[in-house]
Amino acid sequence: MNNIASTAMPGFSPVPAESVAWLGTAPVPAAPYYSPAYYELEREAVFRRSWLQLGHVSELPEPGSFIRREVEVLKASVLLVCGRDGQIRAFHNVCTHRGTQLVEAEAGRAGNFSCPYHRWSFSTDGRLLSAPDFESFGLTKEECALPAIALEICGGLIFVNFAPKISLREEMGPFADWLEKFPCAQATQFSEYVYEINGNWKLTYDNFQENYHLRFIHPRTGGAAVSDENPFGYPVKYGFHGPHRTQTIWSNPNVKPTPLQAISFGKGAQFAMADGLAGPHARDYLALFPNFFVIGTPAQSFSHTIWPLGPERSRGVIRLYWKGEDDCASRRFAREYALASARDIHAEDRAVIEAGQRGLSSGALKYVHFQVQEALCRHLFNNVNERVEAYKAELAGGAA
Amino acid sequence: MSALLPDGFAALEPFVARWAVPGTAARAARRGESSAEEREAFYGVAKDKLLPALAYLDGKKLEAFDAADNRLMDMMLSLAHVALAVEGLGDDEPRHAEMRRHMQITRSPAGV
Repeated sequence: MNNIASTAMPGFSPVPAESVAWLGTAPVPAAPYYSPAYYELEREAVFRRSWLQLGHVSELPEPGSFIRREVEVLKASVLLVCGRDGQIRAFHNVCTHRGTQLVEAEAGRAGNFSCPYHRWSFSTDGRLLSAPDFESFGLTKEECALPAIALEICGGLIFVNFAPKISLREEMGPFADWLEKFPCAQATQFSEYVYEINGNWKLTYDNFQENYHLRFIHPRTGGAAVSDENPFGYPVKYGFHGPHRTQTIWSNPNVKPTPLQAISFGKGAQFAMADGLAGPHARDYLALFPNFFVIGTPAQSFSHTIWPLGPERSRGVIRLYWKGEDDCASRRFAREYALASARDIHAEDRAVIEAGQRGLSSGALKYVHFQVQEALCRHLFNNVNERVEAYKAELAGGAA
Repeated sequence: MSALLPDGFAALEPFVARWAVPGTAARAARRGESSAEEREAFYGVAKDKLLPALAYLDGKKLEAFDAADNRLMDMMLSLAHVALAVEGLGDDEPRHAEMRRHMQITRSPAGV
């Protein structure tokens, strides 16, 4: 592939090495991508202390609506509830009597939540309403409210943090305003597909942070992303704020869509324009630390969250956001095609990530390598590792 | 009801049994289990019917669709999946179908 690397690219200039040199250029240790010990540290250092994307406001449309989300990396079950006051709150899905999981249903609508074990009953804002023979405990009901989890909403997306030190919006800085202008902020529903993968969460996530692989892994499904002038489909810009990052996706002026692609994406674009979804971030990718990113493309805006299930196993959740109901056949067709085409591409990624994990898990490599155009992968590793090292120091200090 | 499909779409009737599939995940699965011959035969006839079908169906609200309209809609939605194989993946489709099997569709405005 050296001939590709040396091809002149008139009309396109990749992001220069100097602009991301501050991230470092050294090889990156391979063990964090498979080590159980490192994973254990990440659970506390990264996931317990970060804002995690758990849902979308459209899932909680009215007072009493609830969804249950399992956060396996923290062994936590989270109840997201819309209270009678219309406010969305997050609670540990745990009865305060003796810890029984309160809600089994994945989603629904309820006036209150009653524990199956001893019938302690909680309101949609987390208060203990009643408990049989409660006077025998010598407790107040205030002491027995459901344990709350910090929750913030940005761009229609619901984030929680189990141990917040800073608000989500403060941490996101300018990216909070970005997210409010993404299609997900106006969405009223979404399509979703989910996969499990034998892959470390960072390795899995990294695949979606670099375009270096596009022409090799997506030769038929991803043709629109590359061309002679930009053979790898590299982005035109990277941006960073704290642990978060962006890239601006290059627009290929010479896309040759297939016949149905042209019809479907044409209709999708018309609907997106009519719905006012063509905002300033139509070519932007926004990655929020640690495990979430969203793409602003108006007609096929999607988010991807990668949940760790173990050091070498993850779950990916992909959602395509839609404004309004399917009000006509053409809109329904455009949405079906958008879902199916995105899924085709992601299916190809999953297979090659697993191959990468097999190689890494063998222990054959001490280091992996990130080139200039894999700067976002390096940025993720740097931020994870900083937190892991700080947490190790914290543990050592506590032990001293 | 006499016709399986609305007037003007009789050419698609031989494909109703195979491709008028309700549900996005079910349509994706049907694509995955189909043969190249089945996909190409359906695509060959259906691709030129897509715009007329959408134009006809767009004249009604989805809730007002009768059984024939629903079959036509579901066939056009199946065409979205099949076209990705025929126009895009070609002979890579069987390998791809195995990879896609892991990507479980859990939510769709058209119903799963």
